Order: sequence, then structure tokens, then C-alpha cells
Amino acid sequence: MSVETEKNEKISRAIAEALGRGQKVFNLEESRAIMELAGIPFNKCGLATSAGDAADIADDMGYPVVMKIVSPQVIHKTEVGGVRVNIATGAEVKSTYEDIVKGVLEQVPHAEINGILIEEMVSGTELIVGTTTDPQFGPMIMFGIGGIFVEVYKDVSFRLIPISANDARDMMGEIKGKALLEGIRGLPRADPDKIVEILENVSKLVQSHPEIDEMDINPLLITENGIIAVDARILLGDG
Amino acid sequence: MGSIEYFFKPRSVAVIGASQAEGKIGNIVLKNIIFGSKDNAQMGVQNGFKGNIFPINPQAEEVCGLKAYGSILDVPTDVDMAVICIPAKAVKRSIEECGTKGVLSVVIITAGFSEGGEDSKNLENEILDIASQYSIRIIGPNCLGVISTYSALNASFGDAMPNKGPISFVSQSGALCTSVINYSFEEHLGFSNFVSIGNKSDVDDADLLDYFSGDESTKCIMFYIESLKDARKFFDTSRRVVRDKPVVAFKSGYTEEGAKATSSHTGSIAGSDVAYVAAFKQSGVFRAKTLSQLFDSSRALAYQPVPHGENIAILTNAGGPGVLASDTAYSLGMALAELSEDTVEKLNQVCPPTWSHRNPVDIIGDATAERYEESLKILMSAREIDGVILLLSPTARAEPMDIAIRTVDVQKESGKPVTASFVGMVSQESENYLDSNGIPEIEYPERAVFAMYALIHRMRFLKKEGLM
Repeated sequence: MSVETEKNEKISRAIAEALGRGQKVFNLEESRAIMELAGIPFNKCGLATSAGDAADIADDMGYPVVMKIVSPQVIHKTEVGGVRVNIATGAEVKSTYEDIVKGVLEQVPHAEINGILIEEMVSGTELIVGTTTDPQFGPMIMFGIGGIFVEVYKDVSFRLIPISANDARDMMGEIKGKALLEGIRGLPRADPDKIVEILENVSKLVQSHPEIDEMDINPLLITENGIIAVDARILLGDG
Repeated sequence: MGSIEYFFKPRSVAVIGASQAEGKIGNIVLKNIIFGSKDNAQMGVQNGFKGNIFPINPQAEEVCGLKAYGSILDVPTDVDMAVICIPAKAVKRSIEECGTKGVLSVVIITAGFSEGGEDSKNLENEILDIASQYSIRIIGPNCLGVISTYSALNASFGDAMPNKGPISFVSQSGALCTSVINYSFEEHLGFSNFVSIGNKSDVDDADLLDYFSGDESTKCIMFYIESLKDARKFFDTSRRVVRDKPVVAFKSGYTEEGAKATSSHTGSIAGSDVAYVAAFKQSGVFRAKTLSQLFDSSRALAYQPVPHGENIAILTNAGGPGVLASDTAYSLGMALAELSEDTVEKLNQVCPPTWSHRNPVDIIGDATAERYEESLKILMSAREIDGVILLLSPTARAEPMDIAIRTVDVQKESGKPVTASFVGMVSQESENYLDSNGIPEIEYPERAVFAMYALIHRMRFLKKEGLM
């Protein structure tokens, strides 16, 4: 069995198991596992289930780090105080761990807390890659300027899945913020081939797994060390 | 399922529900088939279908001078195509009889099917089942009919038959079909086929796209779409067809309500129009956003050659229209050619010193037909120029008809595209001459620019696909 096929089967299994449980939403960790198999690069991360554990993981990773709540009941993490950034020491990691858990439970009392994700903190220009399913045309892919204002500016371009490398390049050329891809004012420049590859990989992922109804990779960052995804979500449908 | 061809090139046609009564659909359709148009029918000029025509009407011996039959089964020879204009509840039996008779294509003009209630929808499905048993293809129901100019077949209840020409038009709106035919006389547009597609119970947009891609008389395919029956099929078909022939689509019904109520960013941004925009861009279908864009782009694509590159020159005898045209060109993302020294030098020889010396090429208000011709020749043969938008503002010295004749000659010789605007002049001899010689002439300069833009769009698509 080719590596490709093997990865695809792993993804199929994860999706089938989730659907078997009646689960329709993959959290960051689950989404990330699937997307990494599909060839989407992510920042380094590890799941901590205690404050001490969190500090160990952060020490290994190097500072600063980002900490994010992992709970099936919490989809929009920022809105419930479930995300903290720029944490610079082990002691701060430990105290933040307790703070986050307490804060989330106050806002979402029934939340199951699976732990806290410790992530390498990366920064750069925020892009978004997503997919959705049009009731008439079926799966579509979106590319554009990401971050929290994505729905305000809507600087995005869509294509039907599957896309070709040409389509991916057209999408990049269509957004108003395309100059940001070139790296203006000292910001890091994106390798266009890498973005094309990511778009093609996302397209293939959805094409091979029609159960995926929607997904977001937001933000996908242009960093000094390449293009790196830091947050993602997959929603399943009926295929 | 049988071939779509029998809607456009049948050897014989039956009209089920043919009527002697003036104003009845079954009367209008039969007369259109016999005479070609309402005007011809009134003058008694039989310019219609040359194959056998069979009126079907159980109450008449003869309709419009032709022997009538009680049932299609009574017709002694083969029937390729039937046009049905009887009440909905009687259609099922007719289709059954068409099947027995071996009819290959049926146009159901009758309304009152899936556009009505649940019962009517069921009736439509029953009819489809019967048709599929007999391999009959169906256009409609609830449509205006079908016109094929090259077969002199006007199987519709519209007034007129358009002139022969390179465009095939598929419309989800029957009313728009008749309007387009009326416009087409004014604008000297020629059509090969016209289809009012109705409820698309069987034959849909993609089937017709596929058929017209192989139709020799069709050079450009024009669509008016409200909704697609099978969006993916249309997308896949158009992706293939656009590589051979330009396709222009006017999709109406912009709404935001299609955006999903969802927790993903992507889903919440994607409104109903987003998928159409994506599909058209990806397949290379040219999207018209207004009716005038639909005409202007279709005629340019049907009649003018595709430019080899991006660089357009604007030739004008007045500053204002030149600026207006270049603004429109820039806003559409078109490139205005920078004149080479060689071109400037050549233009110096034929123009007074006050000419603009740059693009837009303003050859001044006293330009004669001769100066227009010489300047146009220089621009069309310049290597840095891929096409010309020719503007003429009426002056005492410019003789429009003379300029029109010379423009047509220069364009034909050069093989590069020209679109034109004789600004503000409507229904003049010069305009008719340009139009009927394939140079899109529109009284508004912006629209002449848009017509050129459609050609640029086509060139970009063909280059991207490695086809030129």
C-alpha cells in the first residue's frame, strides 16, 4: 500500500469513527491530525492535561507559546477566554493553565475539558483556506486574507473542487490583498508554490472524503519559516 | 436516450393540437412552422420548414391548408419531431402515441407541470417515464419552443424568425427569447438556434451546450440562466466546450440568502452566487451581468477574431469619448498599448501635428474618412497593438458610411479585432453596415470597450489553457 493510500485510509477511519459516534465537528486537534495527513503544515503543538504537563511541553518546544482550551463544547475558543498568547516562561504556563480552565468553566459550566493545547507561537500575515459545500455545485474551496476579520472584509476567492494548480494561482491573483503575499513593509513573503500545494492538498482531501462538509484553516500564516497553519476546524455532513 | 439533433434538424414535424383558430397556440406554432414568421404568414410567404408538416387535430380535416390527422398514429410516413400544444392532462397520452409512432424529439409547449403543484409534478414525471421507455427526448414543458434558422424551422409561438448566423441561444425565459429576436434585427445579429428551455424536465442546459459544441453553424453559445438543473453537469460540460467555443452566460438572481447558517467562516461567506462566479471563472464561461453585456460580448465573440495579446488602441476623432473609453478599459483591467516610435512616426505622416501622439489616438475633429482609414491601417499593422476600438463622434467632415466601409475592409485584411462606437448614432446606414459585416458597433463607447473586453477574456483563457 502506498504511503498516500495509507494516509487516506487513516483519514477515512477517523471520519467513519466520528460519524459512528454521531460526531459532526472535529476540534483543532482532530482536524489537525487529519490535515497533517493530507499534507497541510502546522505549527508544533502538544496536548497538556495538567499544569505541570503543560510546562514540560512548553519547555521542550521553546518560548513563547500559545495555550488553547480543548473541549468539545467550545467551538469559538477566543470568545470564552480559552486562548492565551505570548506566554514566555514555565511558571506563566502553569498559572495560565489554571486560569483558562477556571474561566471557561465559568462561561460554559458543562464543558468537558480534555486539556490545553500548547502551541509554538508563530506570527505572520494571516491567510484563510476553507471549503464548503454548495447545495447545487457541491464542494468548493476558498482562499483569501484570514484572521478574525475575514467575514468583514470577505477578501476571498472561490473555486469548485477539484482545482488545478492553475486554478490555485488564479485564486491567489484574484484577492485584493494579493500584495500581502509578496511581503510588503518587511513582512515575510509567501512561497507561491507552497500555497498552490496547500490549496491542491485541501482540494484532494475534500474530493477523497466527501463526508467533509466544511472546513476552515484560519489562520494559515505566512511566517519567516514558511506557510504554517495554526487553527483549523472540520465539519462533517452526510457525504 | 436519442439524439438532441432531431430538435434542430428533423426531417418531418407534427403539431399536436394544431388549430385553425386565430390566436390559439396550436395555430401560431403551425403557421410559424409553415411560414417562418407571423409577418410571412400574413403575407402568405411560405418561408418556413421544408420537410413534411403534419397537423394533428381529431376535429379537423384540414388545418392551415394542410391535411390534418386525428392522431399522430394516423400519419402514413415517419415523424421525427412533435410539438405539443394541448392541455396538460392530455399530454401523457400524446407522448405514448409519439412513442408508438417512433417520434424522436418532442417539444412540450403546454404549461401546468412541475412549475405548478405536486399533482402536476407527478404528471411531468409520468411523462418522462414514458418518454424514456421510447427513447424520446423532451424539451419543455412550459416553453416557447425551438427555432433552427438553418433548417428554416420556427417551432415556437414567438412572432419572428431571427436571421441566420453564428450564435445559438438557450433561454430559461421564453419572454426573453422573443425580446432577443427583436433586438437581433436592430443589431444585425444572426442566430443558428434558439431554445426556450422551459422546465428542463429532460433536455437541460448542459445537453444543449454539448450539442451546440458540435454544431457547425454555432460559433458562440449564449445562455440566459435563472437556475441550473444539474449544476455540476453544466460545469463539467462547459469546462470541455469552452475550450472549443466561447460560451457567454447571463445568470440572473443575485442573492445573499444562500449563505449558510453555519459555524465555519467559509460557509458563512459563500452566498448563492459565489458558486456560480467560481464555476464560470473556472470553466472560462464569460459572464454577462446585464442584458446589454450579454449581447455585446456574444456578438464580439461570434464575429470578431480573438486578439493575440492584451494591448488595445483606441482610435478617436474627439477627446471626450477617448477618455471615457480608456477609463472603461482600465476599470475592466484591460491594457492600453503604448505606441512605438515607429507607429508615432507613421501617424505623423497622415495626421496633422495636433494629433494626440499617444493612446487614445485622437486624430482630431477634422478627421476625414481617409485619415481614419490610414490611421486604422497603421494601428492594425503595428506589432505593439492587438486590437482597436474605433470611436467616431459626428462632425461635418467625417462621413460615417465612408468610414464604416473602410473600417470593414481594413479589419478583414488585418485579422485583428475591431469594435466600434459611432457615438450617439442610432439606426444609421453606417451602423447597419458595420453590424452586418461583423464589426460590433454600439452607440455607447463603454459598450464597444466591453465588447473588446470579452475578446481579451477569451484570449486570456485560451492562453492559460495552452490553446494559443
